[in-house]
Amino acid sequence: MSALPLAFLSPWLLLGLLALPAIWLLLRLTPPKPRRVDFPPARLLLDVEARRETPVAMPWWLLLLRLALIALIVFALAKPVWNPAPAAPEGAGPLLIALDNGWPAAADWDARAASAETALAAAEDAGRAVALVALADPAREIGLTTAGEARERLRVIAPQPVSPDRRAHLPAIETFFRAHGDAEALWIADGLEAGEARAFGQGLRAALGERPLTVRLDSTGSARGLAGAANLPANLTVRALRAEAAGPETVRVRASDLRGRPLGETEAVFGVGAREATATFDLPVELRNDVARLEIVGARTAGAVQLMDQRSRRRAVGVATGATADTAQPLLAPSYYVTRALAPFADVREARGQGASQAVESFLDQKLPAIVLADVGALSDDAHRRLEAWVENGGVLIRFAGPRLAAAPDDGLSPVRLRQGGRTLGGALAWETPQPLSSFAGSGPFAPLTVPDDVTVTRQVLAEPDADLPDRVWATLGDGTPLVTGARQGKGMTVLFHVTADTRWSNLPLSGAFVDMLRRVVDLAGTGGGQPQAAEGAAAEAGSANAAEARPATLPPTRTLDGNGAFRAPPATAKPVPAEGRAFATPDNPPGFYGPAEAGVAVNTLAADATLARLDLTGLDAATGDVTVAEPTPVAPWLFTIAALAAILDGLAAFLLAGGAGLLGRRSARAAALALAALGLALAAPAPHAQAQTAEKPAYDERFALEATLATRLAYVASGDFEVDRLAKAGLEGLTQALASRTALNPGGPIAVDPAKDELAFFPLLYWPVTQDAAPLDAATRARVDAYMKQGGAILFDTRDAVSGSGGGAESAALKRLLEGLDIPALEPAPRDHVLTKAFYLLNDFPGRYDGSPLWVEALAGEDETEAADRPARAGDGVSPVLITGADFAGAWATGADGRPLLPTSTDERQREMAYRVGVNIVMYTLTGNYKADQVHVPALLERLGQ
Amino acid sequence: MAARAGLADPAETRIASRHEEAALGLSGALPRLVVAARRASATVVHGLHGRRRSGVGENFWQYRRFTTGEPVGRIDWRRSARDDHLYVREQEWEAAHTVWIWIDRSRSMAFRSNLAPESKVERAAVLGLALADALVRGGERVGLLGLTRPTASRNAIETLAQALGAAQPDDSGLPPQAHPIARLSEAVVIGDLLAPEAEIAAAVASLAARGGRGHLVMIVDPAEETFPFTGRTEFLDPDGATRVTAGRAEEWREGYVARLARHRAALADIARRHAWSFQIHRTDRPATEPLLALHARLGEAAA
Repeated sequence: MSALPLAFLSPWLLLGLLALPAIWLLLRLTPPKPRRVDFPPARLLLDVEARRETPVAMPWWLLLLRLALIALIVFALAKPVWNPAPAAPEGAGPLLIALDNGWPAAADWDARAASAETALAAAEDAGRAVALVALADPAREIGLTTAGEARERLRVIAPQPVSPDRRAHLPAIETFFRAHGDAEALWIADGLEAGEARAFGQGLRAALGERPLTVRLDSTGSARGLAGAANLPANLTVRALRAEAAGPETVRVRASDLRGRPLGETEAVFGVGAREATATFDLPVELRNDVARLEIVGARTAGAVQLMDQRSRRRAVGVATGATADTAQPLLAPSYYVTRALAPFADVREARGQGASQAVESFLDQKLPAIVLADVGALSDDAHRRLEAWVENGGVLIRFAGPRLAAAPDDGLSPVRLRQGGRTLGGALAWETPQPLSSFAGSGPFAPLTVPDDVTVTRQVLAEPDADLPDRVWATLGDGTPLVTGARQGKGMTVLFHVTADTRWSNLPLSGAFVDMLRRVVDLAGTGGGQPQAAEGAAAEAGSANAAEARPATLPPTRTLDGNGAFRAPPATAKPVPAEGRAFATPDNPPGFYGPAEAGVAVNTLAADATLARLDLTGLDAATGDVTVAEPTPVAPWLFTIAALAAILDGLAAFLLAGGAGLLGRRSARAAALALAALGLALAAPAPHAQAQTAEKPAYDERFALEATLATRLAYVASGDFEVDRLAKAGLEGLTQALASRTALNPGGPIAVDPAKDELAFFPLLYWPVTQDAAPLDAATRARVDAYMKQGGAILFDTRDAVSGSGGGAESAALKRLLEGLDIPALEPAPRDHVLTKAFYLLNDFPGRYDGSPLWVEALAGEDETEAADRPARAGDGVSPVLITGADFAGAWATGADGRPLLPTSTDERQREMAYRVGVNIVMYTLTGNYKADQVHVPALLERLGQ
Repeated sequence: MAARAGLADPAETRIASRHEEAALGLSGALPRLVVAARRASATVVHGLHGRRRSGVGENFWQYRRFTTGEPVGRIDWRRSARDDHLYVREQEWEAAHTVWIWIDRSRSMAFRSNLAPESKVERAAVLGLALADALVRGGERVGLLGLTRPTASRNAIETLAQALGAAQPDDSGLPPQAHPIARLSEAVVIGDLLAPEAEIAAAVASLAARGGRGHLVMIVDPAEETFPFTGRTEFLDPDGATRVTAGRAEEWREGYVARLARHRAALADIARRHAWSFQIHRTDRPATEPLLALHARLGEAAA
């Protein structure tokens, strides 16, 4: 095969190319078709002596075009295929296909399966028996099957979320080859060394003897992995791994919580030649604690997923203090500095307003992993016992000394025995000077810290010089006395700072070293205060020894990953893991979460310190090929297409050469019209689509917005009924005139709005005439109206049916239908002391064109009767979003162009005047809110001021 | 490659028929042509034209001395009384001529290249009708040779146009030879005159057999004169079904122009032999040019 991945299915047709020179000659000889012109004096031409008649040769480019056209057709007929299917291992005997289906194979599993399928198809064509081995599945005896059966099996083989254990299959493979002397092997490898790939290859080679071995592997890349996720104090990091020391590469790592909600995304950048990169998530600690899953975006393999359990969460630390009344002066509180020092890296819980014992018990109830006791002397027996059990179970207890501790008897919760009382350094009567911090013990957790030179200690509690004291000292003062001691107790630890948590005894809490020291101590805390949460209560009762036994030894799987890194229900083969988890996944313990959701452990595909390496096949006698089989693409259609284009070009050229341009010129007008029509058609075709798209977008009508906002305007909702709308418009015009002439408000002309389309927020008041056949609002419109009312708009619904007697107004069926689904507050007829009656005019009732219809407003919060009695007006804080009447205000307000009323009122013209006053009051009410309600108090206030 | 000439195949005669239709479509264009002709003739002020010689007429021509032997009654006594001589008053000789106009209606006349505003036949019709109009208004009698009798009526132009529109197609390209014109008549032959020189000579000789005078007007499309063709071109004669294929038309131009000049020289020779006039009119020139020239020649010929 040539270097190009191109093959011809009918190569002998290429012989047709030999005809090209002949065609070239032929084309050279054939002159182009002449232009035909009418020429009356043609007869005269008969007598013309043609002097030198060299025929017009075909232009070279046209010749080239035609030759290319013919060559294209010849090539196309030879059925060229791009990426022809690679040849399967040749041979006649049985074929063993070993298929890697570990996590590295998951990302391009389809390609691998297709590769195996191709091999199967080839074997089927050759009539060979086949044995298919999935290397990540448990080893078992290998039997020969037909290719068809093997294909069935191949379909159910799925990538596993673990590294394949290839060595386990070697014995069965050796047996197989011993039984079938003419068998060959095809190994579709995932390209990674993980799972002892080279050893497997060598074993396979040895088992085959002289027979050929074919290895398919992706020569350019392999799967990417994630390992070693760590929730550090400052950030969350995870190592991204790759097997190739290749050029720079960036992978995106996504963090999501237990429910799969993404929490953050960051990039890990592989440097040139680096096989490891670090992705750092700078997230708040709360968010970092929620991270349950880190994955490389788009990797689709279990190896690129890191699961994080509660062990990697940031610790919550409870701070309790023996001092009382701390909160009044926080800077003096013993817990102040501890809290501030812990805050950067831990979740500090403080016990406020309760005693130390209660605080400790509540911390234990919250199952905190670490508790700080600042100068707590004695605890209640119950709290003491539970605290001890908690420490035995893995809690970290950090204590600070102080007068109370110094005075208290040894309670067994200190790492060292303390002398009663303390000692004072540098005091007026002391000989010693304040002692600096001199060293951190090399075996203690503070060993990596540099010793600060600004820490001085003036008072401390002293440890009894027991035999084991030196082992427990983590930090010493200049005179060799311990400053910090710590000791392991059971699974937990107690740590004692021999100074107070505040600055009375030393300036340690003020130094930066304090933060580092606390961080190191808290890091020691087991990630969950009591991992066996369920047993905690019982353990506390029964004591530490029993508690250890009560812890379950194993945790059952709850959710595991499949080979592609997606969560699934645990497979039947998954077994429980030990309670302390596993470093990496095995076939029995697939990666995933084990145990209860809050206290479970996570098992990851890759160990925290894992690295990836490429499978090294050097020195192995095997034919290697690429695993990703590109789909064979027939090229012929493209060649035919190009040939057709060339033919069209040729036609155009011939046309132009034969004088078509002149013809075109003569008919240019018509041709142009045709072209325009065609263009128009072409443009018109996608036009409806485009229109549909633009229609989707809510059009922002700037003209409307300007019109509505350049002046304050009254607005009415167009009902669609011409007469109603006409009256509403005329009525609002009349009211507008009344407002302009009687009040300081000078509104613009009324405007009609459609709540379904127009922006309502521009209008303080919407007049909404309700027709009897009003259709209910659709959901979107309802939401708009609701928002309008919630955001301070007011709507005056007018059912205009008071003349028809009772049942009008708020009880109108049409109104109920219209308002169905709207969030309408409780309503009441406007009481006599409602601010509506005083907003501009003093009113007793609210007549419109009809008299006697109440005006319904939002019911005001009930004020007690006594207060209501001596207040002249009542108002809520805001304007009632809904006003409902049946009095047909617009009918009363409506004036014609000549300024005369359009409709008669139900009684007399005085009622119309009152209707105008009602309208003015309503507008003033909506514009000023409860301002007027406050204004009516002015006389009373003035009276008080005068006194 | 040598020029190939031969009879056209039926497909090409169909092309020729296209021109036939165009020529017949002349009747449709006639109203427009009539208007154009009137406009052209309006620029030629004719009037009842004097013959610039004394003779029988109404207008005064000159007084001349009485010569003895003349009838005494011719003496104009009123003039003679003014001095010592006797004068005779002479009137200008006035006579109405018959002018025969012939317009070529062959298919080749329908040719119009895109250099020309209208086809040759249209221009010929405009020219002929305008001339007829001008002549009729000048008192002459005008007829279409072979189609109508001479008429002097004012609406001669309509009559002639109708006759022209109703005429049968005539592919001869030359005036009918059967009708020699009278001695004092004049013939105006308007056409592309592309027939062989011998045929034209015969036709002119036949027309002039009785001593009638005439004018040859050769209507030429600009393309026929400039030969603006290049490349491989096949030339079709709409009339004669002649087909000439030129390998490189641009190389033929020189020979064609020379041949055309010879043809014209032959035509001029024929005209001179019969004391006829000969003029060439290109259709991209205004129609009034040949009209004025013709008018002038008609006038002077009679002198």
